[in-house]
Amino acid sequence: MTRPDLTTTAAASREGPPVPGHWLTTARAVMAFQLSRLLTRPRLAMALIGALFPPAVMFAAIRTAPLDRNMAVVMIYALIPEALCVLGLLVTMCPVVADELERGTWIHVAIRPGGRRSLLLGTFAAAVLWTGGVAVTGLLLTLLIAQPTQPIGLAVMFLALIMLSCIGRAALFALPAVILPKRALIASVGVALVVEYLAGFLPAVVNQVTVSLRLRSLLVEWMDWRRELPVEMTLFVDTYSAGVQITAVIILVVVLLAAACFILNRRQFPPSAEN
Amino acid sequence: MLSLQHVTKLYGSVIGVNDVSAELGQGAHGLLGPNGAGKTTLLGLITGQLRPTIGTVRVFGERPFGNPEILARIGYCPAGDLTERNATPQEWVTYLMRLSGFDGAEASRRAGRALEEVGLAEASRRPLSTLSKGMRQRAKLAGAFAHEPDLLVLDEPFDGLDPVARHDLVTLVRTWAQSRSLLVASHLLHEVESLQADLAVILGGRLVASGSAEEIRGLIDALPTEVRLTSPTPARLAAWVSEANVVEHLQIPDATTLVVGTRQADRLAETIAAAVADGLVVSEVLAADRTLEGIFGRLVQLHRGVDR
Repeated sequence: MTRPDLTTTAAASREGPPVPGHWLTTARAVMAFQLSRLLTRPRLAMALIGALFPPAVMFAAIRTAPLDRNMAVVMIYALIPEALCVLGLLVTMCPVVADELERGTWIHVAIRPGGRRSLLLGTFAAAVLWTGGVAVTGLLLTLLIAQPTQPIGLAVMFLALIMLSCIGRAALFALPAVILPKRALIASVGVALVVEYLAGFLPAVVNQVTVSLRLRSLLVEWMDWRRELPVEMTLFVDTYSAGVQITAVIILVVVLLAAACFILNRRQFPPSAEN
Repeated sequence: MLSLQHVTKLYGSVIGVNDVSAELGQGAHGLLGPNGAGKTTLLGLITGQLRPTIGTVRVFGERPFGNPEILARIGYCPAGDLTERNATPQEWVTYLMRLSGFDGAEASRRAGRALEEVGLAEASRRPLSTLSKGMRQRAKLAGAFAHEPDLLVLDEPFDGLDPVARHDLVTLVRTWAQSRSLLVASHLLHEVESLQADLAVILGGRLVASGSAEEIRGLIDALPTEVRLTSPTPARLAAWVSEANVVEHLQIPDATTLVVGTRQADRLAETIAAAVADGLVVSEVLAADRTLEGIFGRLVQLHRGVDR
């Protein structure tokens, strides 16, 4: 360890405080830092298990009984945009504040101008990238095992569904993460069950604000299943075009992230919570 | 630079800071108080992490909470240990500089320079988890001032440092305070004193004294020193020291103890020596309130007007 260089701290060498950076730049810095935090052996092992889970289930299903193309698509949809993406985001998005409090780094970030917002948006981006990466890997392996007809078309469709699932669910989990940071995981599981998988299946206005309705509707639209859909199943999908569904998800993401940013900017943590 | 007007901070029914008013100009200031006195809460209010329940906090003329322009001018080194494990000091401080608004190259340059200033250049590429607490403390300090803030706020900054490192960093911080403003919270009087800062003493969330280090020492010295004597004949010893006219108050809490309050500790010592020479047995003499708690307790008494 070297002795401090006291000569360089002279008043004349001071350059002055910075102008607060653009939120996109600072959020990108947080994203890069969060991704580097995820590049640890345990996290990589977890990602590998996540990516191998859907192909393993598909392999087991195919060995049990032959699957037609539609059945394979439904299975991939349930395993990847629904299950894997939700699980991945629970691990990466939920601890956005709790992790910082636990590591003692919250205060270092929160003291920076726009630090709280950058932390939220940067972690959102990192969670989407990480979970999306795991989901895409899982998708490619699953398609290799299922070997459906027109695999490229299916891959493109599922890439879009994975993307929408990740941004929609990450934004959804951002709210419990900032409202109840120390119970974020439990709260997010509750939100996933109650909002996405209960309210999302209610044939009422409430399902309009869920990501699951949009994803199901897009799947039905893009697979051209609408005409063959049994009447009772039409209650669980929306009739709007794909463009409207995608726009609805984007609006939902913007509203949820704006609400989460607003709440996080006003959060106060007593010193005891930071240590 | 800093204005606190009747600031109170409540955590539910718990008082963090109680009706604190103070005006601090540019320069070095020390905030002294035992653990749990409310120092960190007060620093949280000043650094815009907490909002006062009652009262107003202004830093550079503006409310700091959620104010990015003010936050850009503040550097804060919190008391808690940095448990970020995988990052190196260079990566960590660069990350903080990027959050402060610098581009990658400038952030890295500033991080390197700040780490060099705190004497961590050689260890700057080692993971934080492999560094000692003192080295992590230096990394924290580098992160607090690398963006050249106008006000540097340090909470127990020299905790965990060895004496040499402590001396080095005191010099570094003192040099800093020549051109910028500094606010240091500590529970160690000599630590804050060594920074040649004006002092404010906080206890139980209240500001109980303020002034220069000499003034605070003067206040402490003006208060009676409490001396605890152990003797098999405390009543006889009490009579002896009373005659010497050096006693402010006397108490015999049990059969073998005499507590004497005095403003003339040296004369009391001479009196006890004379008593022992005369055949009285004194097995222990203890200046109980020379402990930090004693000093703070006496300042509280002064604040409440008990010893006026």
